[in-house]
Amino acid sequence: MDLVKHLRYFTVVAEELHFGNAAARLGMAQPPLSQRIRRLEEELGVRLFDRSSRQVRLTGAGRAILAEAGEILVRVDRLRVLAGRGEGAVLRVGVPPDLGSAVIAALIAGFEEAGDDVRLAPAELWSADQAAALASGALDVGVLRHPVAAPGLNLGPVLVQRPGVVLAASDPLAAAPSVHLADLAGRRLVLFPGEPGLHEETLAECRRHGFVPEEVHEAQTLGLVMAGAAVAFGPRVELPGLRWRPLLGAPLAWRISTAWRGEASPAAVAFGAVAVRVLKENAGMTDDGAAPVRQVRARPSSGFLA
Amino acid sequence: MTGTNGGPDFAGLFRAAGVTGLLHAVDVDTGAEVSCGADEPVVLASVFKIALMVEFFRQADRGLLDPAERVTVMADRHTPGPTGVSAMADDVTVSLRDLAYLMIAVSDNTAADTLAGRVGLAAVNTMLAGFGLDGTWVEHDCAGLFASVVADSGREDMPTDPAVISRLRVLDPARTNRSTPRETAALLAAIWRDEAATPASCAWMRRLLGLQVWPHRLASGFPYDDVAVSGKTGTLPTLRNEAGVVEYPDGGRYAVAVFTRSYGTAQNQPRADAVIGTAARAAVEHLRSPAL
Repeated sequence: MDLVKHLRYFTVVAEELHFGNAAARLGMAQPPLSQRIRRLEEELGVRLFDRSSRQVRLTGAGRAILAEAGEILVRVDRLRVLAGRGEGAVLRVGVPPDLGSAVIAALIAGFEEAGDDVRLAPAELWSADQAAALASGALDVGVLRHPVAAPGLNLGPVLVQRPGVVLAASDPLAAAPSVHLADLAGRRLVLFPGEPGLHEETLAECRRHGFVPEEVHEAQTLGLVMAGAAVAFGPRVELPGLRWRPLLGAPLAWRISTAWRGEASPAAVAFGAVAVRVLKENAGMTDDGAAPVRQVRARPSSGFLA
Repeated sequence: MTGTNGGPDFAGLFRAAGVTGLLHAVDVDTGAEVSCGADEPVVLASVFKIALMVEFFRQADRGLLDPAERVTVMADRHTPGPTGVSAMADDVTVSLRDLAYLMIAVSDNTAADTLAGRVGLAAVNTMLAGFGLDGTWVEHDCAGLFASVVADSGREDMPTDPAVISRLRVLDPARTNRSTPRETAALLAAIWRDEAATPASCAWMRRLLGLQVWPHRLASGFPYDDVAVSGKTGTLPTLRNEAGVVEYPDGGRYAVAVFTRSYGTAQNQPRADAVIGTAARAAVEHLRSPAL
């Protein structure tokens, strides 16, 4: 018997809890649907629906497999989509918009050099959007910033970037060769939009080092910084009106890695390798080994199953 | 700012605290409700202990067990956990209902598993189905949850590495104890309406939930001496939950279930804990607003 097809019938009946409605949704008559559910019950050796009452209800066994059945169907659909892409196919990759044109161009060139017969279709997406797109199958590989809330994603090697601070040229701090986070006190801060995890960790680190921004703006460009109204964190920039200074003690560590869902295709593996190389060579990132491991001193209120 | 259903901007509150969140709040007496993703499947973590408590007291109601029976919990048979019997060094002899107290008040995992061994998880699921809570399911006890984390992470402490966390099955509602915000709030409302068990047992359950010690989540949103907050937390890497009932001096009572998942993997995130209270208060104030 075609188990996947029968699981699809099962999930529709479980959603409708009505054989007539489920049959209508599936575009079939009710008797064959009931028959197929019975066959599935025979196959699994358990009753999935309780039909004794006037209502159709899921049995305990039915409830137990419902979520798993849904997951199997999503994966089968994804598998079909993947299989449908043959030669000359497209690898859909996500990259953070702030990486910059030069890095994205290097990614494309590096991937073409790797010689796969696959065309790269990069989309500029912030990490939270990439995680959602990977989960739904709209993206094959992401290059995203940590941390992301995305259970079930596989991650490539983690790279780390040590951002400095971007100041207006007129800012008195620009006169010093490096800046301590605490020196930024009283200033407003510009952070990328669409990076809630990075946002939270960066602000936590700022607070820890004595910098509580007067106000936090989410913006993609450095206009506010250029106007002298705020500061930003990021890699070295060379723009008129702006000064980049390293942060004393490199307190901020931004982590980035490739991510994908399920088994990676050969093209995705090739892209992952290119991405790691390009990010190291063109974007100044280093292996995560350089970053200190944060010790966790457990507290009861945040312990296992508190 | 308002949300999609005319309620508060819950998504904005959660985002500002570095988490994604789901919430359902219902007036225990009128049924008025406000929510944010009320029917999405969520990981219960320790919030499943509410369902275990309900079935424990229902079996006591039917005479299947004696809540005052004393049992000895052996020190070498503990389920890991930072509180209660789980953290104690020696064998403990204690009544079943006092284990229920420890399970709810300090989320004692060993107390919970001792009761689960007595009550049976199948019976808990049958009870949930009997209340029509079809999206709520208890897959394993605390020891089972722990074994799953160890199998996936290869270590016994709670991981903070995002790569490890992303492969934990206990963070996927399809593979662990699960519910929805609406159903969790419904179970609590049934306890407050004396419908989950006999009135005497429901009163006992309300007392236990009122004795929960943690102040940092739901209760933090209601810093008023004349407001009672009862609840049960749930915690796993990146997950912070609490479900409870808030009672106002004018008699208004509201069951609220909040489930969050943080972007950051740090264990200590006070703002992520506090937004559970902030969002719950926004929900309760919405339900209490005269316009509704």
